[in-house]
Amino acid sequence: MAGFILRRLLLLLPMLLAASLIIFLLLRLGPSDPAMDYLRLSRVPPTPQALAEAQTMLGLDRPLAVQYLDWLWKAVRLDFGISYVTQRPVLPSLLHFLPATLQLAGVALVVTLGVSVPLGMWAARHPDRLPDHLVRLIAFIGVSMPNFWLGFLLVLLFSVHLGWLPAMGRGGWSHMVMPAIAISLMSLSINARLLRASMLEVAGQRHVTYARLRGLSERTVERSHVLRNALLPIVTATGMHVGELIGGTLIVESIFSWPGVGRYAISAILNRDYPVIQCFTLLMVTIFVLCNLAVDIAYAWADPRIRLSPEVAHD
Amino acid sequence: MIERALSADGLSPLHGRRFGWTAQIAFTLVALIVAVTAAGPWIMPFDPDAVDLVQRLQPPGPVHWLGTDHLGRDILSRLIAGAGVSLGSVALAMALILAAGIAIGGAAGVLGGRFDQAIMRTTDIFLTFPTLVLALFMIGMLGTGLTNVILAIALSHWAWYARIVRGIVLSLKHREFVLASHLAGMSRLRVFTKHLLPATLSQLLVLATLDIGHIMLHVSSLSFVGLGVTPPTAEWGVMLNDARQFVWTKPLLMLWPGLALFLSVMAFNLAGDALRDRLDPRLDLGHVH
Amino acid sequence: MAPFKTLPRRVAIGYNHLIAKEAPQARQVRVFALAAVGLALAIGPTGQGMAQTRLNAAWPANVGPLNPHLYAPNQMFAQAMVYEPLVKYQADGTIGPWLAAGWEVSDDARIYTFRLRQDVRFSNGEPFDAAAVVANFTAILAGRSRHAWLELTNQIETVAALDAHTVRLTLKRPYYPTLEELALPRPFRFVAPSQFVGGGTQAGITAPIGTGPWVLKDTQLGVRDLFTRNERYWGPRPAIGEINIKVILDPNTRAVAMETGEIDLIYGSDGPVSPDTFDRFRAMGQLTTGLSKPVETLALAINSNRGATRDLAVRKAINHAVDKDTMIATVLYGTQTRADTLLAPNVPYADIGLQPYAYAPARARRLLDEAGWTVAASGARQKNGEPLLIDLCFVGTDAVSKTIAEIVQADLKKVGIGVRLVGEEESSVYARQRDGRFGMIFNRTWGPPYDPHALISSMRAPSHADYQAQSGLPDKAEIDAKIGQVLLSVDASERRRLYRDILTRLHDGAVYLPLTFTSAMLIAKPELGAVSFSPIAGEIPFDQIRPREP
Repeated sequence: MAGFILRRLLLLLPMLLAASLIIFLLLRLGPSDPAMDYLRLSRVPPTPQALAEAQTMLGLDRPLAVQYLDWLWKAVRLDFGISYVTQRPVLPSLLHFLPATLQLAGVALVVTLGVSVPLGMWAARHPDRLPDHLVRLIAFIGVSMPNFWLGFLLVLLFSVHLGWLPAMGRGGWSHMVMPAIAISLMSLSINARLLRASMLEVAGQRHVTYARLRGLSERTVERSHVLRNALLPIVTATGMHVGELIGGTLIVESIFSWPGVGRYAISAILNRDYPVIQCFTLLMVTIFVLCNLAVDIAYAWADPRIRLSPEVAHD
Repeated sequence: MIERALSADGLSPLHGRRFGWTAQIAFTLVALIVAVTAAGPWIMPFDPDAVDLVQRLQPPGPVHWLGTDHLGRDILSRLIAGAGVSLGSVALAMALILAAGIAIGGAAGVLGGRFDQAIMRTTDIFLTFPTLVLALFMIGMLGTGLTNVILAIALSHWAWYARIVRGIVLSLKHREFVLASHLAGMSRLRVFTKHLLPATLSQLLVLATLDIGHIMLHVSSLSFVGLGVTPPTAEWGVMLNDARQFVWTKPLLMLWPGLALFLSVMAFNLAGDALRDRLDPRLDLGHVH
Repeated sequence: MAPFKTLPRRVAIGYNHLIAKEAPQARQVRVFALAAVGLALAIGPTGQGMAQTRLNAAWPANVGPLNPHLYAPNQMFAQAMVYEPLVKYQADGTIGPWLAAGWEVSDDARIYTFRLRQDVRFSNGEPFDAAAVVANFTAILAGRSRHAWLELTNQIETVAALDAHTVRLTLKRPYYPTLEELALPRPFRFVAPSQFVGGGTQAGITAPIGTGPWVLKDTQLGVRDLFTRNERYWGPRPAIGEINIKVILDPNTRAVAMETGEIDLIYGSDGPVSPDTFDRFRAMGQLTTGLSKPVETLALAINSNRGATRDLAVRKAINHAVDKDTMIATVLYGTQTRADTLLAPNVPYADIGLQPYAYAPARARRLLDEAGWTVAASGARQKNGEPLLIDLCFVGTDAVSKTIAEIVQADLKKVGIGVRLVGEEESSVYARQRDGRFGMIFNRTWGPPYDPHALISSMRAPSHADYQAQSGLPDKAEIDAKIGQVLLSVDASERRRLYRDILTRLHDGAVYLPLTFTSAMLIAKPELGAVSFSPIAGEIPFDQIRPREP
């Protein structure tokens, strides 16, 4: 197991390297001029002399490869430069906002798993009967619901009308309920349906029928034979959901004034504050990749075939 | 992308049967949305951009069926105009994604070898980005505006489609009819357009329909946070953003654009589901992940 | 296989936990909401046993490093909380003593001698004396180019300490608004020289140590800035112990926070909440609401040096085409008043009886027709193939600007002028103001005590929208020359004549579309008692607030 994890961790390095290269190249080869944006954001009049100075200062006059290596070398030492707008180091600022985002995304992930598994089981236990139809309906609404609209509807109901939950900000658990629901509804809908389907599929398999014939109780059969195997696709899907949950959090934060990284990133994007955009993107990719790694490890843990032949999981 | 996970299950309540009543509703809804979009300029009761301050924030009534917004613009007209923007941008983004997916994925599958390897590694890199983060990054690079949002969405989704096309091509590549065409002296491009592409298209159609809702949500979320269309253009995400400040006083303002978005996404999801059941009930999309 | 067995159970526990927890949580919140109505200010004993009150307010950004001599990202209201001026601008428009107990002006109006108070200390205990004043002035003048908009920085020749508590300011030439500019929130305020970095403040300061009534205690990025009462303060002791400034970017969220009791005060002249929110609070009657007398002018600067607006007829037509009264009555809920001139008549030297451009769409159309802007088949006007299309730039995240922009767009469309709205991030809009890439752009005057002299002075700096908008006027050079004269005029009647001339030229050139005279807005919990408005736009009078006894 340790070898498997180590192997996967090592594989991360080239992936992140490639991602950083893409980020770097796209920004540099893109249509805009960082030196110009630097002057604009620093409120310096863009005279030709100031422009030349800014280019030298930002190292834009050197060959692209040198620029990249320089940036990479600094990045390895966790120096992502200074924001053009706030004139503060980028990484500490982002890391300052990150915990709030991770907290929300994490709670949303817990809600996703915590709600979808019972829902999926419930539906699978009563296929084509009322619970199944109900879960199907919820799931269908869930996958079509814009998360930011759902956020508003929740505010409308629970804050404006009922006055039960705070409409904004970060505080105790009560602040997290609505954003977490808004973010997780889509993933949990998908998960619930996925689990139902795979449980039904597994339930039809021979070893389950055999277990029933052995006289094991329905509950034991469900828990030890059906659910165990049916959860595998859920584990895979969770890796996908992490990306969706991160994205959802970035958007939903703006509705609930959640002091996370999303607001910071969006204003950096509007400002074209390149060091922030660069660092933000790389940070999100790293988190996403690490989460997927965790999922892969969970999967390998559950299904020994994978850790013995990593190719199965890979392609 | 998540919609694709759905298809592993089949959300249509009438799974296995052909075009049941839900599917019919879905197709009717989709047809209705497309028709409204196409007929937009003729059926709008008012100019969607016409400001009339005296009539602002009117409740629904006989003149303005859904009421007016904070500038006295007719909400129904703006919803109809917004449908055009939403559908148009989604269609454009989808066309770009499909074109890039077919061209790049097809080339990778047909040519194979080093080229295939290179393409696959490139898609690997793109797939390490969560799509929304990648789209945000692309907008950071290109600047805001609807055109750039469309480009950003295309750039953040093409890799998925390229992999799917490549997968389909690879699965067909060694079938007899393809090999026979090669032996008959057809060029690789011709074999691709003649044999491989048609087989790919039907599956892509299903996937695209399933993804339209997803991309629609993407476009309007980006507009909602202020990265998309410029005023006064009516777009559902922007309308929602405009309605924000009235959530306490005029909550109805927020209801309409959200409902329009929700229903459209649902219609396309249902339609995609039904199409999948019909065209390719065994379409296994597991390899996407 | 074995470890997998535990997974579903763990997940199920997580689920139950949520279900079980949610309901009581919700109830608790409701109780809290009820309690908050009664207990608005957290009043309770602190360690020393004295009553400690905390006031929660909201601001869109963190207050910044609080360098008294620099601009963004330092927030002006917070700089004014920590740092104090030599002299104070008072509500009646006169200048009174502050850190300087008194002053003398030489007969030729070139030498100002200030006698400093002797009981003032910086919040870290260091004395505030003539040496500190000179050090600060030297630091400010070292960054002269940043303060070019402020004529006093160009006019100061020397600053010298005559003794420990006397400072002499020598000007190159007599400059009549000297005391007004010394009273501004920035840059002529004083940080303890021990906090200088590299012998000055241009490269930053170590810590924001001032003499003012408040001390910055804690900053949490993106969350809040906490100020406590300066226990060494020489002046009247504020009644409130702590000011907690929460970072709330969005005006609607600010309104919600006010409603739920998370903040006690909303104050600002730049639309701290939307007009309809203000109107709603005013109608509800549970909170104290107030509007100051008009302080600034909200106007669109019209670029006379670019595109169709180079034509005077177009600029005049724009002025005749916008229905400000309807806009104010509807979307602004009467929170602002109509502006027909760049400066309100109550601004010094500005009551000169300029003839307003009345709302008259027919007249606008006629002006355009006469100037050769003919209506094409498409309904849009054009002249020699050049379409009548103007870019209107505004901060995209500002809902009120956006609304006004859309109204202007619709009004101008009615007379055949096309407007393209360009909503961007604040810094991009500033950049356009500086380099003139706009047809029309939102622009504010600065309020007292800046108006009119500092505003007029800045019109000569190319980095201001005013300069860019005026740069196409045939008499721009003449206007700038007259601005130079008026600032250095000694004779009051001469000064009045020059102001009349400058303001008339700008009005006749129609390089502005004055929209409204704006007031500062105030929404406060009734427990705060009567909250007054600060005489200087951009300051918040926290030290004046005297909460009612509970």
